[in-house]
Amino acid sequence: MIDVGNLIQGARIHGSLYRDPDVFERELNEIWYKVWVYVGHESEIPNPGDFVRRTIGRQPVIVVRAADGTVKAFFNRCRHRGNMVCHPERGNVTAFTCPYHGWTYSTEGALLQPTFEDGYDSKLRREDFGLVPLPRLDAYRGLIFASVSPEGISLDEHLGGAKEFIDLFMDLSPTGRVSLTAGNQKVRYSGNWKFMPENSMEGDYHGPFIHRVAFELHSKKTGFDVSSLYENEIPDVIRSLAGGHMVEDYRGATIVPPARPPSAARRAYAEAMERAYGEEKARRLLGTMAPLIYIFPNLMYLMTHIRVVQPVSVAETFVHYQPMLLDGAPDEINEERLRMHEFMFGAAGFISPDDIEIMERIQSAVNAGGNEWLFIGRGEHRDKLLPDGGSTGFTMDENHIRGFWQHYSTVMNAGG
Amino acid sequence: MGDAQIEAFLTREARLMDEGRYREWLDLWTEDARYWVPCNDDDIDPARQVSIIYDDRDRLTQRVERLLSGSVLSQQPRPRMRRVISNIEIGPRDGTEVTVESNFILGVARGGTKHLWIGRSIHQLRETGDALKIARKKVLLIDNDQEIPLLQFLI
Repeated sequence: MIDVGNLIQGARIHGSLYRDPDVFERELNEIWYKVWVYVGHESEIPNPGDFVRRTIGRQPVIVVRAADGTVKAFFNRCRHRGNMVCHPERGNVTAFTCPYHGWTYSTEGALLQPTFEDGYDSKLRREDFGLVPLPRLDAYRGLIFASVSPEGISLDEHLGGAKEFIDLFMDLSPTGRVSLTAGNQKVRYSGNWKFMPENSMEGDYHGPFIHRVAFELHSKKTGFDVSSLYENEIPDVIRSLAGGHMVEDYRGATIVPPARPPSAARRAYAEAMERAYGEEKARRLLGTMAPLIYIFPNLMYLMTHIRVVQPVSVAETFVHYQPMLLDGAPDEINEERLRMHEFMFGAAGFISPDDIEIMERIQSAVNAGGNEWLFIGRGEHRDKLLPDGGSTGFTMDENHIRGFWQHYSTVMNAGG
Repeated sequence: MGDAQIEAFLTREARLMDEGRYREWLDLWTEDARYWVPCNDDDIDPARQVSIIYDDRDRLTQRVERLLSGSVLSQQPRPRMRRVISNIEIGPRDGTEVTVESNFILGVARGGTKHLWIGRSIHQLRETGDALKIARKKVLLIDNDQEIPLLQFLI
């Protein structure tokens, strides 16, 4: 068996962690089938019978708003002969009927009807053949998490210090609620899934190299200049949270917005925020960019959207970019957010495709031998350790990536 | 604007896209241009739904500037690509404008792999002086609801 501990040595990460199929299989069992995995947002299933089809590792899952209004999650597999009960990606049902032999389940998962029931032994109990629920299901601020494992820490404990950062982006809405109803840009890349969180939370270091032109185009158009982020590195921007979560926290950074009169929609949005949160908190929320966050293992929030990383195989990954609309904000604000999102993200955006191209190149390059180690040592000498097990670093430091790997190592070795 | 002129226009646009002649391609557009590649479905409300591309003239210009900058990593080197356009259906003329629908198959070769992009284009062409221009172009990818690779060229 692979000793993952030997492959992660502080700031040295062994290349095989990105390319070894055995590592991937172990990740399925020790990460994807053990920990809390993000499976959707409540706004995607507002009404009874609404469902979305999701995947945890390789396991197909249905997340549904049951007739009684509660959220349920089931393994998407008919109890009869194993067919996928729910095939559409999203929709609304009164019941789930397996198309193969017509077995029908309620949105609460109960078997309503094994068809041609007279041919079954009278001792067969319907209650033994309900859809199997995910052993654990919980939500925080509308974000729904499930776990394939019946045992483990609570979601509250898993999120820990991340909740404060989730609150910050949720509170960009004057109602404190957001909607992930604006669609889903889906991209695939030929690379390992771990490149996505590593890269997504490290934009300040690689940004001036691979995103320079996009930054320049943006700043030419809007007057918004991000170069100040690089000229003077700021402490505590990079945060590693206990639990393998990563944060880029710009609250301490002075980002001067362009001196232009705000639009009527901007003013209306600011006023709605002040009414909701009071002047001081509203100014704080709007005065800087909300922190970017990665929640181990598959959920991210970045600027305009919720990003979900979905491993397919050791060298193939799906990534979903779902723009986040702010409930209670003027329509123009949400439209602006969509256009900003398209500028940066998705297959045809001006920023994330360069990241993805790099991930594909690394996937090829880590086949190279010689020295197998990747180095994530920036800022190691100045890590500021926090009492809760996290740490902070300067703008371009890599302490959060080290934290991610440390947690990864713990989880991967927990199964023995 | 005769049918032959319209078909020749689409063919030329295809060649400019295939050959990375970005500036000439940009010149094909009107000032009030809209270049739209919907996401998830062919008919969505771009005010409430995200698109793969939803460019006005400014964004279109930025797209071309970025491609010309040489900084787009997935375009280093620029992949070879060729597309076939067919099934052209020319709608009735409406003043100076006409709507033209066509199907395309685009092959992109890069790094030892080939990918096929397939879809339907809906062009709204406008007669301006002596030239045809694209006022609006909507591209319906057959896989706009699925995981797609990077789209860092013109479609």
